[in-house]
Amino acid sequence: MPMIEVAGKQVEVDEDGFLADPNTWFPELADYFAKTEGIEQLTEKHWQVVNYLKDYYAKNGIAPMIRKMCKDTGISLKEIYELFPSGPAKGACKIGGLPKPTGCV
Amino acid sequence: MSANALRQPKKANEALMRSVGCDPVPDDKKVEAAIQHIDEFRKKVRSFVMAMESCVKCGLCAENCHTYLGTKDPYNIPANRADLIRKVYKRYFTVQGRLFGGLVGAEELTLEMLEKWYSYFYQCSECRRCGHTCPFGIDTCEVTMVGRQILYWLGIGPQLHTATAGAILKTGNHMGLTKAGIEDTLEFLAEEIKDDYGIDVEFPVDKPESDILYIPSSADFMLNPGTLKGAAMFFKYVGANWTMTSRMTEAGNFGYLMDQNRIQRELVSRLFEEAVKLGVKKIVWGECGHGWRAAKMYIPTMSDYVGSRRIPITHIHDEVAALIEAGKLKLDPTRNSRKVTLHDPCNYVRACGHCDVMRTVIRAVTTDFVEMTPYKEQNFCCGGGSGILFDDPDMYQYRIQASQKKADQVRATGAEILCAPCSICKAQLYPMVKEHKLPVEVHGLIDLVGNALVWD
Repeated sequence: MPMIEVAGKQVEVDEDGFLADPNTWFPELADYFAKTEGIEQLTEKHWQVVNYLKDYYAKNGIAPMIRKMCKDTGISLKEIYELFPSGPAKGACKIGGLPKPTGCV
Repeated sequence: MSANALRQPKKANEALMRSVGCDPVPDDKKVEAAIQHIDEFRKKVRSFVMAMESCVKCGLCAENCHTYLGTKDPYNIPANRADLIRKVYKRYFTVQGRLFGGLVGAEELTLEMLEKWYSYFYQCSECRRCGHTCPFGIDTCEVTMVGRQILYWLGIGPQLHTATAGAILKTGNHMGLTKAGIEDTLEFLAEEIKDDYGIDVEFPVDKPESDILYIPSSADFMLNPGTLKGAAMFFKYVGANWTMTSRMTEAGNFGYLMDQNRIQRELVSRLFEEAVKLGVKKIVWGECGHGWRAAKMYIPTMSDYVGSRRIPITHIHDEVAALIEAGKLKLDPTRNSRKVTLHDPCNYVRACGHCDVMRTVIRAVTTDFVEMTPYKEQNFCCGGGSGILFDDPDMYQYRIQASQKKADQVRATGAEILCAPCSICKAQLYPMVKEHKLPVEVHGLIDLVGNALVWD
Protein backbone atom coordinates (compact mmCIF):
# COMPACT_ATOMS: atom_id res chain seq x y z
CA MET A 1 0.00 0.00 0.00
CA PRO A 2 1.16 3.59 -0.64
CA MET A 3 3.12 5.60 1.92
CA ILE A 4 2.74 9.31 2.61
CA GLU A 5 5.04 11.64 4.48
CA VAL A 6 3.51 14.17 6.87
CA ALA A 7 5.43 16.30 9.41
CA GLY A 8 8.53 14.23 8.71
CA LYS A 9 6.83 10.91 9.49
CA GLN A 10 6.05 8.10 7.04
CA VAL A 11 2.62 6.44 7.32
CA GLU A 12 0.83 3.88 5.23
CA VAL A 13 -2.54 4.69 3.59
CA ASP A 14 -4.96 2.45 1.69
CA GLU A 15 -6.09 2.71 -1.95
CA ASP A 16 -8.68 5.32 -1.01
CA GLY A 17 -6.15 7.41 0.89
CA PHE A 18 -7.46 6.36 4.32
CA LEU A 19 -4.97 5.60 7.06
CA ALA A 20 -4.09 1.88 6.89
CA ASP A 21 -3.82 1.51 10.67
CA PRO A 22 -5.88 3.86 12.91
CA ASN A 23 -3.22 3.49 15.62
CA THR A 24 -0.66 5.32 13.48
CA TRP A 25 -2.72 8.56 13.54
CA PHE A 26 -1.19 11.80 14.85
CA PRO A 27 -2.72 15.31 14.86
CA GLU A 28 -0.81 16.71 11.85
CA LEU A 29 -2.37 13.98 9.74
CA ALA A 30 -5.80 15.49 10.37
CA ASP A 31 -4.70 18.75 8.73
CA TYR A 32 -3.22 16.81 5.84
CA PHE A 33 -6.36 14.67 5.25
CA ALA A 34 -8.61 17.71 5.67
CA LYS A 35 -7.01 19.36 2.63
CA THR A 36 -7.65 16.21 0.54
CA GLU A 37 -11.33 16.49 1.53
CA GLY A 38 -11.64 20.12 0.48
CA ILE A 39 -11.32 21.65 3.97
CA GLU A 40 -8.85 24.53 4.17
CA GLN A 41 -8.56 24.87 7.93
CA LEU A 42 -9.87 22.62 10.69
CA THR A 43 -11.95 24.65 13.16
CA GLU A 44 -12.86 23.85 16.75
CA LYS A 45 -16.13 22.29 15.54
CA HIS A 46 -14.30 20.03 13.11
CA TRP A 47 -12.09 18.86 15.96
CA GLN A 48 -15.11 18.25 18.15
CA VAL A 49 -16.51 15.82 15.55
CA VAL A 50 -13.12 14.20 14.83
CA ASN A 51 -12.35 13.68 18.52
CA TYR A 52 -15.82 12.25 19.12
CA LEU A 53 -15.33 9.77 16.24
CA LYS A 54 -11.90 8.75 17.49
CA ASP A 55 -13.16 8.15 21.03
CA TYR A 56 -16.15 6.19 19.81
CA TYR A 57 -13.98 4.08 17.53
CA ALA A 58 -11.51 3.36 20.33
CA LYS A 59 -14.35 2.09 22.52
CA ASN A 60 -16.49 0.24 19.98
CA GLY A 61 -14.25 -0.62 17.03
CA ILE A 62 -16.63 0.99 14.54
CA ALA A 63 -17.89 4.48 13.59
CA PRO A 64 -21.08 5.57 15.37
CA MET A 65 -24.58 5.90 13.97
CA ILE A 66 -24.70 9.36 12.44
CA ARG A 67 -27.81 10.31 14.40
CA LYS A 68 -26.06 9.41 17.65
CA MET A 69 -23.06 11.51 16.71
CA CYS A 70 -25.31 14.52 16.05
CA LYS A 71 -27.08 14.08 19.37
CA ASP A 72 -23.93 13.56 21.41
CA THR A 73 -21.99 16.45 19.86
CA GLY A 74 -25.00 18.77 19.57
CA ILE A 75 -24.07 19.50 15.95
CA SER A 76 -26.89 19.08 13.44
CA LEU A 77 -26.61 16.80 10.42
CA LYS A 78 -26.87 19.80 8.12
CA GLU A 79 -23.99 21.48 9.90
CA ILE A 80 -21.91 18.31 9.77
CA TYR A 81 -22.32 18.21 5.99
CA GLU A 82 -21.24 21.86 5.85
CA LEU A 83 -18.20 21.08 7.97
CA PHE A 84 -17.34 17.91 6.00
CA PRO A 85 -18.50 18.33 2.38
CA SER A 86 -17.79 14.65 1.55
CA GLY A 87 -19.99 13.57 4.45
CA PRO A 88 -19.45 12.36 7.99
CA ALA A 89 -19.00 8.68 7.06
CA LYS A 90 -16.19 9.35 4.63
CA GLY A 91 -14.69 12.80 5.16
CA ALA A 92 -14.78 12.93 8.96
CA CYS A 93 -13.69 9.30 9.36
CA LYS A 94 -10.74 9.82 7.04
CA ILE A 95 -9.53 12.87 8.96
CA GLY A 96 -9.76 10.98 12.25
CA GLY A 97 -7.82 8.02 10.85
CA LEU A 98 -10.81 5.64 10.96
CA PRO A 99 -11.12 3.03 8.19
CA LYS A 100 -13.32 3.78 5.19
CA PRO A 101 -16.83 2.45 5.81
CA THR A 102 -17.88 -0.47 3.58
CA GLY A 103 -21.35 -1.65 2.56
CA CYS A 104 -24.44 0.35 1.64
CA VAL A 105 -23.36 3.81 2.77
CA MET B 1 -11.21 2.63 -27.39
CA SER B 2 -8.31 2.59 -24.95
CA ALA B 3 -8.87 1.33 -21.44
CA ASN B 4 -7.94 4.75 -20.09
CA ALA B 5 -10.99 6.36 -21.65
CA LEU B 6 -13.38 3.90 -20.03
CA ARG B 7 -15.49 4.83 -17.05
CA GLN B 8 -14.51 2.32 -14.37
CA PRO B 9 -14.87 2.07 -10.61
CA LYS B 10 -11.67 1.69 -8.61
CA LYS B 11 -10.45 -1.90 -8.73
CA ALA B 12 -9.57 -4.02 -5.72
CA ASN B 13 -5.84 -4.73 -5.56
CA GLU B 14 -4.52 -8.26 -5.65
CA ALA B 15 -4.11 -8.55 -1.88
CA LEU B 16 -7.74 -7.57 -1.34
CA MET B 17 -8.95 -10.03 -3.98
CA ARG B 18 -6.94 -12.78 -2.31
CA SER B 19 -8.39 -11.85 1.09
CA VAL B 20 -11.87 -12.91 -0.08
CA GLY B 21 -10.61 -16.19 -1.49
CA CYS B 22 -10.02 -15.21 -5.13
CA ASP B 23 -6.90 -16.50 -6.89
CA PRO B 24 -6.22 -13.89 -9.61
CA VAL B 25 -5.22 -15.17 -13.06
CA PRO B 26 -2.03 -13.57 -14.51
CA ASP B 27 -2.70 -11.12 -17.36
CA ASP B 28 -1.21 -13.33 -20.06
CA LYS B 29 -3.59 -16.15 -19.11
CA LYS B 30 -6.76 -14.08 -18.57
CA VAL B 31 -8.14 -14.30 -22.11
CA GLU B 32 -7.75 -18.05 -22.30
CA ALA B 33 -9.32 -18.51 -18.85
CA ALA B 34 -12.27 -16.26 -19.70
CA ILE B 35 -13.04 -18.20 -22.89
CA GLN B 36 -12.99 -21.41 -20.91
CA HIS B 37 -15.46 -19.94 -18.42
CA ILE B 38 -17.81 -18.85 -21.22
CA ASP B 39 -17.64 -22.40 -22.50
CA GLU B 40 -18.61 -23.74 -19.07
CA PHE B 41 -21.51 -21.29 -18.76
CA ARG B 42 -22.87 -22.14 -22.20
CA LYS B 43 -22.80 -25.85 -21.38
CA LYS B 44 -24.54 -25.41 -18.03
CA VAL B 45 -26.82 -22.37 -18.18
CA ARG B 46 -29.55 -22.45 -20.83
CA SER B 47 -30.79 -18.91 -20.11
CA PHE B 48 -27.27 -17.69 -20.96
CA VAL B 49 -27.25 -19.53 -24.32
CA MET B 50 -30.71 -18.14 -25.07
CA ALA B 51 -29.43 -14.62 -24.35
CA MET B 52 -26.42 -15.22 -26.60
CA GLU B 53 -28.39 -16.67 -29.52
CA SER B 54 -31.72 -14.82 -29.58
CA CYS B 55 -31.23 -11.04 -29.54
CA VAL B 56 -32.43 -9.41 -32.80
CA LYS B 57 -31.39 -5.86 -31.77
CA CYS B 58 -34.96 -4.56 -31.80
CA GLY B 59 -33.82 -1.79 -29.44
CA LEU B 60 -36.78 -1.92 -27.08
CA CYS B 61 -34.46 -2.28 -24.09
CA ALA B 62 -32.69 1.03 -24.82
CA GLU B 63 -35.46 3.36 -23.70
CA ASN B 64 -36.27 1.06 -20.80
CA CYS B 65 -32.81 1.29 -19.20
CA HIS B 66 -32.24 4.16 -16.76
CA THR B 67 -28.48 3.76 -17.30
CA TYR B 68 -28.74 4.45 -21.01
CA LEU B 69 -31.32 7.21 -20.52
CA GLY B 70 -29.02 8.93 -18.03
CA THR B 71 -25.69 8.54 -19.85
CA LYS B 72 -26.66 8.17 -23.55
CA ASP B 73 -23.62 5.91 -23.85
CA PRO B 74 -24.55 3.34 -26.54
CA TYR B 75 -22.77 0.54 -24.66
CA ASN B 76 -25.24 1.12 -21.83
CA ILE B 77 -28.07 -0.07 -24.08
CA PRO B 78 -28.70 -3.51 -22.55
CA ALA B 79 -28.49 -5.29 -25.93
CA ASN B 80 -25.10 -3.68 -26.63
CA ARG B 81 -23.83 -4.34 -23.13
CA ALA B 82 -24.67 -8.04 -23.51
CA ASP B 83 -23.02 -7.89 -26.93
CA LEU B 84 -19.67 -7.41 -25.17
CA ILE B 85 -19.94 -11.10 -24.31
CA ARG B 86 -22.11 -12.09 -27.28
CA LYS B 87 -19.44 -11.05 -29.82
CA VAL B 88 -16.88 -13.22 -28.06
CA TYR B 89 -19.33 -16.11 -27.76
CA LYS B 90 -19.97 -15.84 -31.49
CA ARG B 91 -16.26 -15.85 -32.33
CA TYR B 92 -15.40 -18.98 -30.36
CA PHE B 93 -18.61 -21.01 -30.18
CA THR B 94 -20.49 -20.55 -33.48
CA VAL B 95 -19.57 -21.83 -36.95
CA GLN B 96 -20.27 -18.55 -38.72
CA GLY B 97 -18.24 -16.63 -36.16
CA ARG B 98 -15.26 -18.96 -36.45
CA LEU B 99 -15.34 -18.78 -40.26
CA PHE B 100 -16.30 -15.17 -40.94
CA GLY B 101 -15.27 -13.32 -37.76
CA GLY B 102 -15.96 -9.60 -37.86
CA LEU B 103 -18.18 -9.93 -40.94
CA VAL B 104 -20.85 -11.55 -38.78
CA GLY B 105 -20.18 -9.41 -35.70
CA ALA B 106 -17.81 -11.83 -33.97
CA GLU B 107 -14.81 -10.51 -32.05
CA GLU B 108 -11.65 -11.95 -30.51
CA LEU B 109 -11.43 -11.65 -26.75
CA THR B 110 -8.62 -9.32 -25.66
CA LEU B 111 -7.54 -7.68 -22.43
CA GLU B 112 -9.03 -4.43 -23.76
CA MET B 113 -12.39 -6.17 -24.13
CA LEU B 114 -12.16 -7.42 -20.54
CA GLU B 115 -11.63 -3.80 -19.45
CA LYS B 116 -14.84 -2.93 -21.30
CA TRP B 117 -16.64 -5.75 -19.52
CA TYR B 118 -15.49 -4.35 -16.19
CA SER B 119 -16.65 -0.86 -17.13
CA TYR B 120 -20.11 -1.77 -18.39
CA PHE B 121 -21.04 -4.72 -16.18
CA TYR B 122 -20.43 -2.44 -13.19
CA GLN B 123 -22.49 0.38 -14.68
CA CYS B 124 -25.40 -2.03 -15.06
CA SER B 125 -27.40 -2.13 -11.81
CA GLU B 126 -28.87 -5.59 -12.49
CA CYS B 127 -32.36 -4.06 -12.20
CA ARG B 128 -33.96 -6.39 -14.79
CA ARG B 129 -36.11 -3.70 -16.33
CA CYS B 130 -34.72 -4.68 -19.75
CA GLY B 131 -35.48 -8.34 -19.06
CA HIS B 132 -39.01 -7.36 -18.10
CA THR B 133 -39.63 -5.66 -21.44
CA CYS B 134 -37.64 -7.88 -23.86
CA PRO B 135 -40.05 -9.51 -26.34
CA PHE B 136 -37.78 -12.56 -26.47
CA GLY B 137 -37.60 -12.81 -22.69
CA ILE B 138 -33.84 -12.30 -22.62
CA ASP B 139 -32.78 -11.48 -19.07
CA THR B 140 -29.79 -9.24 -19.68
CA CYS B 141 -29.22 -9.08 -15.93
CA GLU B 142 -28.14 -12.72 -16.12
CA VAL B 143 -25.54 -11.74 -18.72
CA THR B 144 -24.20 -9.04 -16.40
CA MET B 145 -24.03 -11.65 -13.64
CA VAL B 146 -22.06 -14.00 -15.91
CA GLY B 147 -19.74 -11.13 -16.82
CA ARG B 148 -19.15 -10.13 -13.19
CA GLN B 149 -18.60 -13.76 -12.17
CA ILE B 150 -15.99 -14.36 -14.86
CA LEU B 151 -14.24 -11.08 -13.99
CA TYR B 152 -14.16 -12.15 -10.35
CA TRP B 153 -12.59 -15.48 -11.25
CA LEU B 154 -9.96 -13.62 -13.27
CA GLY B 155 -9.22 -11.43 -10.25
CA ILE B 156 -11.04 -8.28 -11.36
CA GLY B 157 -13.58 -6.65 -9.05
CA PRO B 158 -14.40 -3.23 -7.60
CA GLN B 159 -12.72 -2.09 -4.41
CA LEU B 160 -16.18 -1.37 -2.94
CA HIS B 161 -17.69 -4.80 -3.55
CA THR B 162 -14.56 -6.71 -2.61
CA ALA B 163 -13.93 -4.74 0.60
CA THR B 164 -17.59 -5.18 1.54
CA ALA B 165 -17.47 -8.93 0.91
CA GLY B 166 -14.23 -9.01 2.91
CA ALA B 167 -15.92 -7.21 5.82
CA ILE B 168 -18.80 -9.67 6.01
CA LEU B 169 -16.54 -12.71 5.74
CA LYS B 170 -14.54 -11.32 8.65
CA THR B 171 -17.22 -9.80 10.88
CA GLY B 172 -20.60 -11.15 9.76
CA ASN B 173 -21.83 -7.87 8.27
CA HIS B 174 -20.99 -5.48 5.45
CA MET B 175 -20.19 -2.49 7.66
CA GLY B 176 -17.72 -4.32 9.87
CA LEU B 177 -19.87 -3.68 12.96
CA THR B 178 -18.56 -5.07 16.24
CA LYS B 179 -20.84 -6.48 18.92
CA ALA B 180 -19.96 -3.50 21.14
CA GLY B 181 -20.97 -1.12 18.33
CA ILE B 182 -24.21 -3.02 17.68
CA GLU B 183 -25.22 -2.95 21.33
CA ASP B 184 -24.31 0.70 21.82
CA THR B 185 -26.37 1.73 18.77
CA LEU B 186 -29.37 -0.32 19.89
CA GLU B 187 -29.22 1.13 23.40
CA PHE B 188 -29.27 4.60 21.86
CA LEU B 189 -32.27 3.73 19.67
CA ALA B 190 -34.17 2.28 22.64
CA GLU B 191 -33.67 5.62 24.43
CA GLU B 192 -34.96 7.50 21.39
CA ILE B 193 -38.09 5.33 21.27
CA LYS B 194 -38.65 5.96 24.97
CA ASP B 195 -38.30 9.72 24.46
CA ASP B 196 -40.50 9.86 21.36
CA TYR B 197 -43.22 7.31 22.14
CA GLY B 198 -42.94 6.70 25.87
CA ILE B 199 -42.57 2.94 25.52
CA ASP B 200 -39.85 0.53 26.58
CA VAL B 201 -38.61 -1.49 23.62
CA GLU B 202 -35.90 -4.11 23.77
CA PHE B 203 -33.44 -4.91 21.01
CA PRO B 204 -32.32 -8.45 21.88
CA VAL B 205 -28.99 -9.64 20.46
CA ASP B 206 -27.87 -13.31 20.52
CA LYS B 207 -30.79 -14.19 22.81
CA PRO B 208 -31.06 -17.98 23.12
CA GLU B 209 -34.42 -19.75 22.72
CA SER B 210 -35.87 -17.01 20.55
CA ASP B 211 -38.65 -17.85 18.09
CA ILE B 212 -37.74 -15.28 15.45
CA LEU B 213 -34.34 -14.29 14.07
CA TYR B 214 -34.56 -10.80 12.56
CA ILE B 215 -31.94 -10.05 9.92
CA PRO B 216 -31.42 -6.28 9.54
CA SER B 217 -29.27 -4.55 6.99
CA SER B 218 -26.03 -3.50 8.71
CA ALA B 219 -26.30 -0.08 7.02
CA ASP B 220 -29.34 0.53 9.24
CA PHE B 221 -26.87 0.81 12.16
CA MET B 222 -25.16 3.79 10.60
CA LEU B 223 -27.68 5.50 8.35
CA ASN B 224 -31.25 4.25 8.82
CA PRO B 225 -32.27 4.49 12.50
CA GLY B 226 -36.01 4.58 11.68
CA THR B 227 -35.88 1.16 10.06
CA LEU B 228 -34.34 -0.55 13.10
CA LYS B 229 -36.70 1.31 15.43
CA GLY B 230 -39.77 0.43 13.36
CA ALA B 231 -38.89 -3.26 13.32
CA ALA B 232 -38.30 -3.38 17.09
CA MET B 233 -41.54 -1.50 17.79
CA PHE B 234 -43.46 -3.88 15.54
CA PHE B 235 -42.02 -6.98 17.26
CA LYS B 236 -42.77 -5.48 20.68
CA TYR B 237 -46.31 -4.61 19.61
CA VAL B 238 -47.11 -8.17 18.50
CA GLY B 239 -45.38 -9.69 21.53
CA ALA B 240 -42.80 -11.60 19.49
CA ASN B 241 -39.99 -13.57 21.12
CA TRP B 242 -37.30 -12.30 18.76
CA THR B 243 -33.59 -11.63 18.50
CA MET B 244 -30.90 -10.42 16.17
CA THR B 245 -27.51 -12.11 15.96
CA SER B 246 -24.18 -10.33 16.23
CA ARG B 247 -22.59 -13.03 14.08
CA MET B 248 -24.75 -12.53 10.97
CA THR B 249 -26.11 -9.01 11.22
CA GLU B 250 -26.65 -8.58 7.52
CA ALA B 251 -29.63 -8.79 5.17
CA GLY B 252 -27.44 -8.10 2.14
CA ASN B 253 -25.21 -10.52 0.29
CA PHE B 254 -22.44 -8.87 -1.75
CA GLY B 255 -21.37 -12.35 -2.84
CA TYR B 256 -24.55 -12.39 -4.92
CA LEU B 257 -23.29 -9.25 -6.69
CA MET B 258 -19.83 -10.50 -7.68
CA ASP B 259 -19.25 -14.15 -6.78
CA GLN B 260 -22.38 -16.26 -6.72
CA ASN B 261 -20.44 -19.44 -6.23
CA ARG B 262 -18.31 -19.31 -3.16
CA ILE B 263 -18.99 -16.07 -1.27
CA GLN B 264 -22.76 -16.05 -1.72
CA ARG B 265 -22.93 -19.67 -0.70
CA GLU B 266 -20.73 -19.25 2.34
CA LEU B 267 -22.91 -16.43 3.68
CA VAL B 268 -26.00 -18.61 3.33
CA SER B 269 -24.33 -21.41 5.26
CA ARG B 270 -23.26 -19.08 8.05
CA LEU B 271 -26.79 -17.73 8.37
CA PHE B 272 -28.18 -21.19 8.94
CA GLU B 273 -25.48 -22.15 11.37
CA GLU B 274 -26.66 -19.20 13.44
CA ALA B 275 -30.35 -19.93 13.01
CA VAL B 276 -29.91 -23.56 14.04
CA LYS B 277 -27.63 -22.63 16.95
CA LEU B 278 -30.21 -20.15 18.28
CA GLY B 279 -33.01 -22.66 17.72
CA VAL B 280 -35.27 -20.14 15.99
CA LYS B 281 -38.52 -21.18 14.32
CA LYS B 282 -38.56 -18.49 11.68
CA ILE B 283 -36.21 -16.01 9.99
CA VAL B 284 -37.61 -12.55 9.22
CA TRP B 285 -35.73 -10.46 6.67
CA GLY B 286 -35.23 -6.69 6.95
CA GLU B 287 -35.32 -4.01 4.28
CA CYS B 288 -32.75 -4.96 1.64
CA GLY B 289 -33.65 -5.55 -2.02
CA HIS B 290 -30.83 -7.64 -3.46
CA GLY B 291 -30.49 -9.46 -0.15
CA TRP B 292 -34.15 -10.41 -0.16
CA ARG B 293 -33.78 -11.80 -3.67
CA ALA B 294 -30.69 -13.73 -2.62
CA ALA B 295 -32.55 -15.03 0.45
CA LYS B 296 -35.95 -15.80 -1.02
CA MET B 297 -34.88 -17.12 -4.40
CA TYR B 298 -31.49 -18.71 -3.81
CA ILE B 299 -31.25 -19.92 -0.22
CA PRO B 300 -33.44 -23.00 -0.67
CA THR B 301 -31.13 -24.37 -3.36
CA MET B 302 -27.89 -23.04 -1.91
CA SER B 303 -27.98 -24.14 1.67
CA ASP B 304 -25.96 -27.23 2.45
CA TYR B 305 -27.18 -27.13 6.01
CA VAL B 306 -29.81 -29.82 6.58
CA GLY B 307 -31.50 -28.07 9.51
CA SER B 308 -32.20 -25.06 7.31
CA ARG B 309 -34.90 -26.85 5.37
CA ARG B 310 -37.21 -26.65 8.35
CA ILE B 311 -36.81 -22.92 9.00
CA PRO B 312 -39.14 -20.69 6.95
CA ILE B 313 -37.91 -17.26 5.79
CA THR B 314 -40.29 -14.32 5.43
CA HIS B 315 -39.90 -10.60 4.85
CA ILE B 316 -40.90 -8.16 7.56
CA HIS B 317 -43.27 -6.47 5.08
CA ASP B 318 -45.09 -9.81 4.70
CA GLU B 319 -45.39 -10.11 8.47
CA VAL B 320 -46.81 -6.61 8.84
CA ALA B 321 -49.16 -6.92 5.86
CA ALA B 322 -50.61 -10.23 7.11
CA LEU B 323 -51.47 -8.65 10.46
CA ILE B 324 -52.93 -5.55 8.82
CA GLU B 325 -55.18 -7.73 6.68
CA ALA B 326 -56.21 -9.74 9.73
CA GLY B 327 -57.10 -6.50 11.53
CA LYS B 328 -54.59 -7.19 14.30
CA LEU B 329 -52.67 -3.89 14.23
CA LYS B 330 -54.11 -0.64 15.54
CA LEU B 331 -52.62 2.04 13.30
CA ASP B 332 -53.05 5.79 13.12
CA PRO B 333 -52.19 6.84 9.56
CA THR B 334 -52.61 10.53 10.39
CA ARG B 335 -49.22 10.35 12.10
CA ASN B 336 -47.75 10.05 8.59
CA SER B 337 -49.86 12.73 6.96
CA ARG B 338 -47.33 14.33 4.63
CA LYS B 339 -47.63 13.34 0.98
CA VAL B 340 -45.66 10.16 0.42
CA THR B 341 -44.57 8.21 -2.66
CA LEU B 342 -43.09 4.73 -2.88
CA HIS B 343 -39.92 3.81 -4.74
CA ASP B 344 -40.21 0.13 -5.72
CA PRO B 345 -36.82 -1.54 -5.18
CA CYS B 346 -36.05 -3.49 -8.37
CA ASN B 347 -35.26 -6.79 -6.72
CA TYR B 348 -38.52 -6.75 -4.74
CA VAL B 349 -40.84 -6.05 -7.65
CA ARG B 350 -39.13 -7.66 -10.64
CA ALA B 351 -37.52 -10.63 -8.92
CA CYS B 352 -39.53 -11.48 -5.80
CA GLY B 353 -43.22 -10.73 -6.48
CA HIS B 354 -43.02 -8.19 -3.65
CA CYS B 355 -45.36 -5.50 -5.02
CA ASP B 356 -48.83 -5.46 -3.51
CA VAL B 357 -47.55 -6.28 -0.05
CA MET B 358 -45.81 -2.88 0.14
CA ARG B 359 -49.04 -1.16 -0.93
CA THR B 360 -51.06 -2.98 1.73
CA VAL B 361 -48.66 -1.60 4.33
CA ILE B 362 -48.17 1.93 3.04
CA ARG B 363 -51.90 2.54 2.52
CA ALA B 364 -52.58 1.47 6.12
CA VAL B 365 -49.96 3.74 7.68
CA THR B 366 -50.17 6.97 5.64
CA THR B 367 -53.00 9.32 4.63
CA ASP B 368 -51.69 10.83 1.39
CA PHE B 369 -50.04 8.13 -0.71
CA VAL B 370 -49.37 8.80 -4.37
CA GLU B 371 -47.88 6.36 -6.90
CA MET B 372 -45.03 7.28 -9.21
CA THR B 373 -45.34 6.83 -12.96
CA PRO B 374 -44.44 4.19 -13.96
CA TYR B 375 -44.66 2.02 -10.85
CA LYS B 376 -44.64 -1.56 -9.52
CA GLU B 377 -42.89 -3.93 -11.97
CA GLN B 378 -42.41 -1.04 -14.40
CA ASN B 379 -40.59 1.15 -11.92
CA PHE B 380 -37.14 2.56 -12.67
CA CYS B 381 -34.06 1.74 -10.58
CA CYS B 382 -32.69 4.30 -8.08
CA GLY B 383 -29.39 4.15 -10.00
CA GLY B 384 -27.43 2.40 -7.24
CA GLY B 385 -28.77 -1.13 -7.72
CA SER B 386 -26.42 -4.10 -7.26
CA GLY B 387 -24.29 -1.99 -4.93
CA ILE B 388 -22.81 0.40 -7.49
CA LEU B 389 -22.54 3.09 -4.81
CA PHE B 390 -19.09 4.14 -5.99
CA ASP B 391 -17.68 7.41 -4.67
CA ASP B 392 -14.65 8.02 -6.89
CA PRO B 393 -15.47 11.33 -8.63
CA ASP B 394 -16.14 9.96 -12.12
CA MET B 395 -18.36 7.17 -10.83
CA TYR B 396 -20.18 9.49 -8.43
CA GLN B 397 -20.97 11.68 -11.42
CA TYR B 398 -22.25 8.56 -13.15
CA ARG B 399 -24.60 7.84 -10.21
CA ILE B 400 -26.07 11.32 -10.57
CA GLN B 401 -26.71 10.69 -14.27
CA ALA B 402 -28.13 7.23 -13.68
CA SER B 403 -30.60 8.56 -11.11
CA GLN B 404 -31.97 11.26 -13.45
CA LYS B 405 -35.00 9.17 -14.43
CA LYS B 406 -35.77 8.45 -10.78
CA ALA B 407 -35.44 12.14 -9.88
CA ASP B 408 -37.91 13.10 -12.63
CA GLN B 409 -40.38 10.50 -11.38
CA VAL B 410 -40.16 11.65 -7.77
CA ARG B 411 -40.46 15.33 -8.65
CA ALA B 412 -43.61 14.71 -10.68
CA THR B 413 -45.41 13.24 -7.65
CA GLY B 414 -45.02 16.37 -5.52
CA ALA B 415 -44.36 14.12 -2.52
CA GLU B 416 -42.52 15.26 0.62
CA ILE B 417 -41.59 11.74 1.76
CA LEU B 418 -39.84 9.26 -0.52
CA CYS B 419 -40.32 5.79 0.91
CA ALA B 420 -37.50 3.52 -0.31
CA PRO B 421 -37.51 0.25 1.62
CA CYS B 422 -34.02 -1.05 0.67
CA SER B 423 -30.59 -0.13 2.03
CA ILE B 424 -28.90 0.28 -1.35
CA CYS B 425 -31.79 2.49 -2.54
CA LYS B 426 -31.52 4.56 0.65
CA ALA B 427 -27.73 4.93 0.33
CA GLN B 428 -28.16 6.03 -3.28
CA LEU B 429 -31.13 8.32 -2.65
CA TYR B 430 -29.86 10.23 0.42
CA PRO B 431 -27.18 11.98 -1.68
CA MET B 432 -29.19 11.89 -4.91
CA VAL B 433 -32.14 13.88 -3.59
CA LYS B 434 -29.56 16.52 -2.75
CA GLU B 435 -27.83 16.37 -6.15
CA HIS B 436 -31.16 16.64 -7.99
CA LYS B 437 -32.50 19.21 -5.50
CA LEU B 438 -35.59 17.18 -4.65
CA PRO B 439 -37.61 18.53 -1.70
CA VAL B 440 -38.12 15.10 -0.10
CA GLU B 441 -37.00 13.11 2.93
CA VAL B 442 -36.03 9.47 2.37
CA HIS B 443 -37.41 6.83 4.74
CA GLY B 444 -37.98 3.10 4.90
CA LEU B 445 -41.43 1.52 5.01
CA ILE B 446 -41.07 -0.06 8.46
CA ASP B 447 -40.08 3.40 9.72
CA LEU B 448 -43.59 4.58 8.82
CA VAL B 449 -45.18 1.50 10.44
CA GLY B 450 -43.37 2.11 13.73
CA ASN B 451 -44.52 5.71 13.72
CA ALA B 452 -48.18 4.76 13.11
CA LEU B 453 -48.57 2.02 15.77
CA VAL B 454 -51.13 2.94 18.44
CA TRP B 455 -50.09 1.80 21.93
CA ASP B 456 -52.82 1.35 24.54
